[in-house]
Amino acid sequence: MVPPDVPVARAVLIAQDDVRRLCEFLYRRTGMSFDDSKRYFIDRRLAERIAATGSGSFQSYFATLRADAGHEIEHLVNAFTVNETYFYREDHQLRCMTSHLLSDLLRRKRTGDSIRIWSIPCSTGEEPYSIAMWLMENWSEVDNYNIEIVASDIDTRALKAAAEGIYGARALMRLSRDMIERYFERIDDGRVRIDPGLRDSVQFTQANLVDGPDMTRYRDFDIVFCRNVLIYFDDTSRRVAAENLYDCMRPGGYICLGHSETMSRISPLFSVCRYPEAIVYQRPEATDDGS
Amino acid sequence: MPFIKRGASTPVTESKPGEATAPHIAALSSPDAEMRWGAARALGGVAAAVPVLAAALDGEQNPRVREAIMTALMRIGDEASVRTLLPYLRSQDARQRSAAIETLQALPGAVEPFVAALLGDADTDVRLLATELARNMPPKHATLVLCDLLKKESHPNVCAAAVEVLAEVGTRDALPTLKACAERFANVPFLPFAIEATIARISSTES
Repeated sequence: MVPPDVPVARAVLIAQDDVRRLCEFLYRRTGMSFDDSKRYFIDRRLAERIAATGSGSFQSYFATLRADAGHEIEHLVNAFTVNETYFYREDHQLRCMTSHLLSDLLRRKRTGDSIRIWSIPCSTGEEPYSIAMWLMENWSEVDNYNIEIVASDIDTRALKAAAEGIYGARALMRLSRDMIERYFERIDDGRVRIDPGLRDSVQFTQANLVDGPDMTRYRDFDIVFCRNVLIYFDDTSRRVAAENLYDCMRPGGYICLGHSETMSRISPLFSVCRYPEAIVYQRPEATDDGS
Repeated sequence: MPFIKRGASTPVTESKPGEATAPHIAALSSPDAEMRWGAARALGGVAAAVPVLAAALDGEQNPRVREAIMTALMRIGDEASVRTLLPYLRSQDARQRSAAIETLQALPGAVEPFVAALLGDADTDVRLLATELARNMPPKHATLVLCDLLKKESHPNVCAAAVEVLAEVGTRDALPTLKACAERFANVPFLPFAIEATIARISSTES
């Protein structure tokens, strides 16, 4: 008997070489890198796009993609990016922050100094609140320094939602019941609101990463979380954003990008720092006026 | 909580008003690298600043400021910007060559009129680098200029670079030229091998 899913599987049959071509294309256009271990992830999203465009075959779809017909590149990138955000997403970077980055930064600070952390784009607030919660839970020095968390996004609707701090169950999926009890209050139909004290600990502002004059409002950040946004930019915008971010950071400050992003392909301004938990990028500590 | 409360500090400063370009142009020749960096960034997108950016790039030694000047030219992205960048494809400094090619790659429309000439350049290295500029061109046009190159190119490394680009963007129109190239370079085994793979790849695509 033929299993019911065979026709679907046949319809999206994709050869290894096709996958490689697609991955090369994606890498060149976005810097997103996928290897064979992600084959299931790739096949599934690729099959979705082939079906959505009515292409019928990889060859037909790839021609559509290369011509960028109907903004297919953007659709493909969206399909390959997990747009949904949630608390403690990519928490290996949060772990890296408390295991390595902060201790390095503290070498240049005195007790009572401020530590400035920036979440951009912050979307609906899950990331900046996660940073605050993670620090409360995992960093013993948290009471010895003034920690400023600024969270910015270009989308004012997202900022409004972030400031309200109301979330559904999906956003909380990585949090333990104990964490939810501690940092949220239940409101209605399964939704929760973040603790008022935590909500007031994050300053939300509108910002555009590629707008130079706008970005001059932001300076002296020690750690920047700028995840899963640069992949949407073209080469020029990526470079402008990288230069803007450089200016927004203190010398020696760190920047964390999304797992599929790499600063090395965008700009040589930052140094690569490899830690067991994550690869992050650092604005060089010394001035470079060695001209 | 140890966090600074909303409104308790001034982490966000007032936005700077729009500034005229003249001070930035002057600052491009400042002895202070930070001033030059700021000036180059402020002149991004200012088409009239191309000549001063070009002059600044010529003498600039600080890598960060050079990067900012390149980005400024990339943001302007006109023919004058491209003409400013093209000479760096001949630089003896690999970093300068790479920076120039990366910047030019981001300007496919402005670069396109120059690609055929670059692919016919007397300098092997320039021809090799120029194949990368075809990568972002429309497939039919990229195929055309790269096939023109392959028909007369004598250096196998340049051919290999063109073949690699064709593997990604080439159309079926490239197949006869690729086959002829493989025959012409039968004594350079890696090239027929690469061409065979490229032909297989292109053949599997729809025309």
